[in-house]
Amino acid sequence: MKILIILLMAISTNTFAEEKKNTIYKYKEYEVIDLGSMEVKGQIIAPGDLTVNERERKVFKRSLLEKNNFDFENRREIENLR
Amino acid sequence: MKYLVTTFLLATFCMNNTAYATAKAAHEIFLKDHSPAKNKKIAHELIDGQFYFSAIPFINNYLEENSVIDAELEADIETLVVKTGTMAVLNLDEKKLESFSIPSISLILGTRLFNKEQYEKAYGVLSRIPETHKFSIESNLIKGTIKNLQRKQIEASTLYESCAKKAEQLESAASGDKLKRYYTYLRETCLIREARVKIEDKKFEEALEIYEQIDKRSYKWPYILMDKAWAHYYLKDYNRAIGLTTTYKSPLLESYFFPEAEVLTALSYYNLCLWDDALKVVDHFYDIYQPKADALKDILGQNKKSDTYFLDLYYADPKTRENLNPFIRNLITQTRKQVKFNLDLASLKAAKDELALIKKLKNKNDFITQLEGNLDSTILFISSKINYYIKKEIFTFINEIHKHSYSMFNLKLELLSQKRNELYNAKLDQKNDRNRGEETNVKRKANQYFFDFNGSFWADELGDYSFGLKSQCTDNTKIEK
Repeated sequence: MKILIILLMAISTNTFAEEKKNTIYKYKEYEVIDLGSMEVKGQIIAPGDLTVNERERKVFKRSLLEKNNFDFENRREIENLR
Repeated sequence: MKYLVTTFLLATFCMNNTAYATAKAAHEIFLKDHSPAKNKKIAHELIDGQFYFSAIPFINNYLEENSVIDAELEADIETLVVKTGTMAVLNLDEKKLESFSIPSISLILGTRLFNKEQYEKAYGVLSRIPETHKFSIESNLIKGTIKNLQRKQIEASTLYESCAKKAEQLESAASGDKLKRYYTYLRETCLIREARVKIEDKKFEEALEIYEQIDKRSYKWPYILMDKAWAHYYLKDYNRAIGLTTTYKSPLLESYFFPEAEVLTALSYYNLCLWDDALKVVDHFYDIYQPKADALKDILGQNKKSDTYFLDLYYADPKTRENLNPFIRNLITQTRKQVKFNLDLASLKAAKDELALIKKLKNKNDFITQLEGNLDSTILFISSKINYYIKKEIFTFINEIHKHSYSMFNLKLELLSQKRNELYNAKLDQKNDRNRGEETNVKRKANQYFFDFNGSFWADELGDYSFGLKSQCTDNTKIEK
């Protein structure tokens, strides 16, 4: 049995080796592309002028004192009432 | 002269006699009465004999055990509130006080709740006081403040208005000078509140018209200069705002110092694009207030545990006071002008007088000894209360300085930034001599005076100063609001 299996394997390996030898790859050896004769359809969208719009410099606003209410004074007045 | 001396001696004799009679009557009740109304009766006798502070513990004990107040007791409590202030029901907790709805207790409880920032509850309690009652003035003032804090401006204005109206009625009806002065104080406080609501609503012209009703001799007048200065600032009349804040530099007002006034002056210069002037004010602020804050911090730190140090400063002899930092001296003077401080001080004196009178009574007994013990504790309590009050005032002032230092710091950054922009734009230096003001730059109404300032302050001119500086702002200089 062992001998049979070994024989079968030897025969199949032989067959694959024969098939590989028969494959022939052929590549194009030379090709000319004439770019001048090619036509590209579309519009030119690149900017004609490279400038940056002027913008105002950011001014950081610091919180200056505002008197929106008199809560502090009013509360103190009541504390000082009695 | 003889007649005067005789009258005085007779009056003293009668007073001592009445005091003796009522103390005797109270002692008899103390010994013989075993009814639940015993404490109430003792208190009534003592109040009758003008032993107000001695009556307080008996009233408190009665209210602790009973929940009914009859007409006589109501009148007694009202007298105690007038004579001793919030001390009248000092030992009773809020829950107990809530169960009584008489005006005097409602006023004390309402004030207590307000100071604890329990505004809704305070409003409800104060609403129990009828509009016809004399305490409705203070009640409406506090209720108005609550609505004001909640930004319910229309309701606040209405309450302030009725407060001012009622105070005016009682002011003209008041018999004694002290009482009259108190109602004047309340009327003016409520008027100022009306004006402040107008400022908060940005109705500056209307606010300024209300301030005109406050007399220059009024106790409240120095304080309204700040309010008026803000109103003019928002009306873009920066020259008048500076004029008003400069009034505090007058020798007559030297004990009034407001760090906020310095900030407002600097802001006004800033809005006139006078960067150098504004910077000078900012630097001056740090030079003046930093050492003041440090001196106060030192004094607070050294005496924070003392219950008497600050009160002793008030009582100190002129020589000791002269050794104090002048600024601390002025701060104590400013504190002395507060109503609460004066009421507490009057209470302290009255309690001491009462103790002296009781000590003079003959026939010492357990009852008299108990009265003396109670009065000793009351005097100690009032003393530490006043001491705490001064301490708190100093602490508040330090906080004010710190708060405004922050505003000044931001302003300084803004000023330096504006100066840098000017350097870039190569603007010429500002004209900086003392004669640069012109009358043409002064905005003035028909009813406003105009005084030339010649280096000295005159009392009748105070509050009417306006600078005449020309704004240095150009189209390029933008002061954003």
